[in-house]
Amino acid sequence: MRKYLYIFKSEVMTNMQYIFNLLVGFISYFILIFIFLNLWKYIYSDSNELINGYNMNQMIWYVIITEILWMSLGGRKLCRKICEDVRGGNIAYNINKPYSYIGYILSSHLGSVVVKGSIFTILGMLLGLIFLGKFPHLTLFSIIIVLITSLLATIINTLFVIFIGLFSFIIEDANPFWWLYSKVILVFGTLFPIEYFPGIIKTILSYSPIYAVSYGPAKLFVDFSIPNMVNVIIVQIIYLIIIYVLCLLIYRKGVRKLNVNGG
Amino acid sequence: MLTVVKNIKNQLKVSFLTVKYALIREMINKTTFLTNITFMILNDASFILQWIVLYALKDNVGGYTFNQVLLLWGIAAGTYGFSHFFFESAFNLSDTINNGKLDAFLVQPKNVLISTITMSISASAIGDLAYAYIMLFVFGFTIKNFLLFTLFCFTGSLIIVSIAIILGSLSFWFNKSDVIADTGNSLLTNFATYPDGIFKGITKILFYTILPLGYVAYMPVQILSSFNIKLFILVISITIMFITLAVITFYRGLRRYSSSNLMIART
Repeated sequence: MRKYLYIFKSEVMTNMQYIFNLLVGFISYFILIFIFLNLWKYIYSDSNELINGYNMNQMIWYVIITEILWMSLGGRKLCRKICEDVRGGNIAYNINKPYSYIGYILSSHLGSVVVKGSIFTILGMLLGLIFLGKFPHLTLFSIIIVLITSLLATIINTLFVIFIGLFSFIIEDANPFWWLYSKVILVFGTLFPIEYFPGIIKTILSYSPIYAVSYGPAKLFVDFSIPNMVNVIIVQIIYLIIIYVLCLLIYRKGVRKLNVNGG
Repeated sequence: MLTVVKNIKNQLKVSFLTVKYALIREMINKTTFLTNITFMILNDASFILQWIVLYALKDNVGGYTFNQVLLLWGIAAGTYGFSHFFFESAFNLSDTINNGKLDAFLVQPKNVLISTITMSISASAIGDLAYAYIMLFVFGFTIKNFLLFTLFCFTGSLIIVSIAIILGSLSFWFNKSDVIADTGNSLLTNFATYPDGIFKGITKILFYTILPLGYVAYMPVQILSSFNIKLFILVISITIMFITLAVITFYRGLRRYSSSNLMIART
């Protein structure tokens, strides 16, 4: 475990050197929140009106939180890196190292997400305050729970991206699967809470990874309750175990048929 | 006059061949090529769900009906598709300038700007183009709509490519201007898929000035919904204006360019 912590710390230190780049990345985040602020202001004729159980402020805070989780993930870059590692044969250098490739990728990626996520959280909160004037009802306990569930959501999401990237063992380029995954998360998980979807879709989403990686932490931020908290944490733990096992299986299967032409 | 026509003909032939060979290169791995296109169509189509949810709440979003939003998406996808299929390299102009990759084009007996921006294509842009025409079919296919739609996708792509050239050319003057270019390009893509009616005040003014999405997407939707000759002429004129500005900016900047003696193999 100490070696992964060391990898994580090194990545944090490296990313601290590129704060300017992260601030530039925040511009895209700002644009997106600005668009959604305008969109929801148009949809809600009165800011206190409830649509599917959410008022206007809650809807905008929901998008602020889900977009922090999503945009700080940097999934496209990670997926591309894993695809290139597999296709280019770089992965062979990791096989004989005294660590697991999945553990290495996970800890090093979390190092960059933590730096980016912290900056996006501070700026996202400021943005929400400037646009909306107030936070939803929060307590110290609920803030701690939101932080814990956000961290779990990021770990699960990273493992999903690793799983998709490792698909390169089977098909040459797994990037298209990443596009599809990202759009599913974006449309079903970040733009609207699952209460916005009709009957059967809502039920499916309640059991899907979206509940664990996106909806859960954001729902707890805008409308905290103990039963919700218990549900979110249980679902996250289940998904964490499932996706980690899936990553291990695809990695072991892929490594067995790995052929590298040295040079 | 005859020489000018001959030169233009030659240049178009070379550009067409460049795109053709770039496409053949992309098609070497057929599975990856087809997967890229198919997934891009699915990628674009996923956003229809967002609008289905929003239109379940309200009949009209920003003055647009559901069909008009689909048309807006079609034009945005077509614009993106044309620009990234034919002029993909325009969006990497900063990198081309900063890393001295312009050298290769300066020694060619063809137009430097056109050769630079047509050196590569994006295969997934074909998926965007396919999606654009699917949206046109959903909106209502007629020969008139087809011609206008194709024209507007092309004028829109020329406007955003011109902006990409202007922003990319800043690298002739400033270091690190690639950040400005990337941000500007993503601004255009993000806003173009939302009805302008949801925005107010200064944002709306920006759409008809420095972020010319009004001419790229919003006016074309208005014209396709109800033809207006004045708006039509305005869109064409603005397109010519942006192309002129881009050409002037690029060649002004090119005077400041100095080679970095980069040695690379272009295959």
